[in-house]
Amino acid sequence: MKRTVPLMIVMVGGILMIIQYFIPHQYSLIVFDNYLEWAPIVGAFALILGVGSLTRLHSHKIRRRAKNWQYSWAVLIPLFGMPFFALIMPESLGGGTDVHGVHDFLFMHVQVPIQATMFSLLAFYIASAAFRAFRAKSALATVLLLAAVVVMLGQVPIGAIFGRWLPETGLWILRYPNLAAKRAIMLGVGFGMLATNLKIIFGVERNWLGGAGK
Amino acid sequence: MYDTIGIWVGALFTLAIYSFLYKENPVYRLAEHLVVGISMGYIIVLIYNTVILPKLLEPIFGGNHWLLIIPGLLGLLYITRFIPSIAWLSRYPIAFVMGTGMGIGFPLTMKAYVLRQLEAAVIPLYSSGMPWHEVLGNIVMIFGTLAALIYFFFSKPHKGLFFGTGSKIGIWVIMLGFGATFGFTVMGRISLLIGRIQYLMGDWLHIIE
Amino acid sequence: MGAVNIWEKMLNLDRRWIFLGIGIISIVFFLVGFGMPVTTTKEVENIFDFVNELGPDDAIFIGFDFAPGTQAENMPMAVAVLRHAFHNNIPVFMTAIVPLGQGMAVSALNYVTDPAIDGHYERVLFEDWADYREAGITNREDIIAAWERDGNVLPEGALGWVFEGRDYALLGYLPLFHLVILGMTNSIETQFPVDYHGNPIGEMPMLKEHKSLRDVDLAVTNAASGACTYWITYAREKIGLPIAFGVTGVMATDYYPYIQSGQIIGQMGGLRGAAEYEVLLQENGITATTDKAFRGMDVQSAEHIFIILLIVIGNIAYFAGGFHKKTRLKGRG
Repeated sequence: MKRTVPLMIVMVGGILMIIQYFIPHQYSLIVFDNYLEWAPIVGAFALILGVGSLTRLHSHKIRRRAKNWQYSWAVLIPLFGMPFFALIMPESLGGGTDVHGVHDFLFMHVQVPIQATMFSLLAFYIASAAFRAFRAKSALATVLLLAAVVVMLGQVPIGAIFGRWLPETGLWILRYPNLAAKRAIMLGVGFGMLATNLKIIFGVERNWLGGAGK
Repeated sequence: MYDTIGIWVGALFTLAIYSFLYKENPVYRLAEHLVVGISMGYIIVLIYNTVILPKLLEPIFGGNHWLLIIPGLLGLLYITRFIPSIAWLSRYPIAFVMGTGMGIGFPLTMKAYVLRQLEAAVIPLYSSGMPWHEVLGNIVMIFGTLAALIYFFFSKPHKGLFFGTGSKIGIWVIMLGFGATFGFTVMGRISLLIGRIQYLMGDWLHIIE
Repeated sequence: MGAVNIWEKMLNLDRRWIFLGIGIISIVFFLVGFGMPVTTTKEVENIFDFVNELGPDDAIFIGFDFAPGTQAENMPMAVAVLRHAFHNNIPVFMTAIVPLGQGMAVSALNYVTDPAIDGHYERVLFEDWADYREAGITNREDIIAAWERDGNVLPEGALGWVFEGRDYALLGYLPLFHLVILGMTNSIETQFPVDYHGNPIGEMPMLKEHKSLRDVDLAVTNAASGACTYWITYAREKIGLPIAFGVTGVMATDYYPYIQSGQIIGQMGGLRGAAEYEVLLQENGITATTDKAFRGMDVQSAEHIFIILLIVIGNIAYFAGGFHKKTRLKGRG
C-alpha cells in the first residue's frame, strides 16, 4: 500500500497514456479528456505542501526565537493576509482582487518592484564578475571571450558603428555554431528526459517516493 | 492617490534593495521575506479563484459533476505529508500526476527534442544562389552538431580521428555557443536594470518618458 | 615590483566602484539618449509578418509566462504583440504558465488600455456590453456601431475599442499548464470554464468562434523559463499550432535550434528583440512611437561598452601583472 500501489499507479498511468497517444480510440479519448480535466485539480492541491512547509518553518523560527525571527512575520502576515483580503474582506474595506484593493496593492506595488529590483541586482554582479573572472587564459577561453564580445556588441545599436560586419558576425555565431552546440545539448537533454520518463514509469527511479514511510 | 502611494512605496523598496549593493541591511532582509510571503499568498488566492472554486466546488455543488470529488479527495491527500504516521498517502496524488504526465510527455518529447532536431540537422549544405556565409554556416551547423555530440559521448575514449578530432572540434563549437550565451546573459541582466531605472526616473520622478 | 602592485591594486578594486559605474551610466544615458537606430532581424520580422497577416476571423494566444523578476525584458515584447493584435482586431487569449504571470497579464492589459497614455485602446468590460450580446450582436463592427449609437464616444488619443470577450479574454494561470495546453487542443472552455474575472468563457463570442487551439492561429509565449517549450511539445507537436517565442536574453541562445527546425516561427530575444518589434510596429504605422524597449537600447549600448572595457582592463591587468604565470606556478605545486 505504501510503496507498491503508488509505483503501480505510476506504471499503469504512464503506460496507458503512451498507448493513448498511439491508439486515439474514441473511448480512450473520453478517458483522456476527463483526465485532463482532473489533473490540474489534483495538481492545485500541491500548493498545500508549499504553504504548509513555509508556515511550519517560519512559525518554528518565531517560537524558538531563532536568528532574525522577526522577519518571519514578514512572510506569515502577507501569506495569510493576501487570501484574507482577497477572499474574505468586503470590497468596501479594501478586499477583493480588483484594482485599489489591498491584494492588488501588495502585488503590484510591493511584490513587483521588489522582485524586479532583486533580479536587476544581477546586472551589477555580472559586471563585477566580467572584470574579475573573464580571462583569456587559454585558446578555448579566448574563443569564448571573443564570441561573447562580438555578440554583446552585435546585439546593441552601437555595434553598427564598427561596421555592418560586426552585428552580422554576431548573428552568424548565433545561427550556426551556437545552434550546433545547443542542438547537441538539446538532443542530450531529450534523450535524458526520455530515459528518466521510462525509469520513473517502470519503477527503476524511485526517489520521488521520498522518505514518508517504507 | 492609490497609484501615487503605490509608486512611492515601490520606489522606496527599489532603493532599499539597491542599498544592498553597498551593504547587507535590515530593509533588504525585510523585502526578501515580504516577497516570499506575498507571492505565496497571491498563489493561494489564484488557485482558489481559478481552480478550487470554478473547477471543483461550483461544479460539485452547482451541478451533477459529483465525479470531481475523486480528484478533490486525491488532491487533499497532500495534507497527509504533514502527519508522519500517514504521510505515505501523499504519494498517491504525486503518483497520479507524475505517472500520467510522464506517459503523456514521452512521445511528444521524443518528437520535439529528438526527432525534429535530427530531421532539421539533415539538410543540404548548398543550394543555388546561397551566399558563401550560409554555406559555411550550414557546414558548421551540421558537422558542429555532430562534433559537439561526440564531445558529450563519454562511453568511448576521445582518441583517434573520429572521437579524438571530433571531440576537439566539438569543444570549440561549444565554446562559441557558450560565448554567445554569455553575451546574451550580460544583455539580459542589463535589461533588468534598465527596467528599474525606467521605473525610478520615469514612473516615479517623471524625469524621462 | 611597483608595476605589479598597480595591477594587483587594480584587480582588487572594491567592486562597489564598478557598481557605481554601472548605476551612473544607466542614469546618464537615459538623460542624454541618442535614439540610435535598431535594425531588425528575420527572427523578429517573421513573427511580425505572421501576426500582420491575421485579422478579426483569426485568434492568437499570448502567454505571460514570466514573473515580475524579468518583466523588464518580457513585458515590452508581450505589450508589443498585444498592441499589434488589438490594432488588427485579432482576438487575443491571454494565459500564464507561471502563477505570477497572471498578475503580469493584468498589468500588460492595464498598460495598453491606460487612458493616460496616448495611443491606448479603450477597454469595455464583459458585463458592460451584456445587453448587446443578449440582443445577438456579436460581430465586432456591429458591437461598435451599437455601442457608439448609445452615446459612447472614443476618447481622444485612443486608437480603438477593445471588448472583453470579443477582442480579448484574460484566461490566466492554471497548474500543470502543459496538461492545460494539451486539454485546450480539444476544448478551451473545459480547461478555463471562467476567465480571470469569473466571467463564463462559454458566453464569449471569441470563444464560440475559437473553441479549441485547433481554431487558433498562433501562440506567442513570452517566457522566463524553459516552460515555454511546453507550447512546442504539447501544442506544436500535437496539432501543429504555430508558436513564437519571446524569451529573456539568458535563454535566447538556447532556442535557435527550434527556429531552424521550424518548430517556432521566430523569436524575440531579450530587450533587443522587443525593441525590434517596437520598431516594426512604428515603421508600419501601427504605433506612433516606439516604447520602453527601444528607449532602453542606448543605455544597453553604453553598458555593453562599459562591460567590454572592464573585461579588457581586467585582462590587461591580469597578464601585465604576471598573474597568469603565478597561477601556472601554483598549479605545478
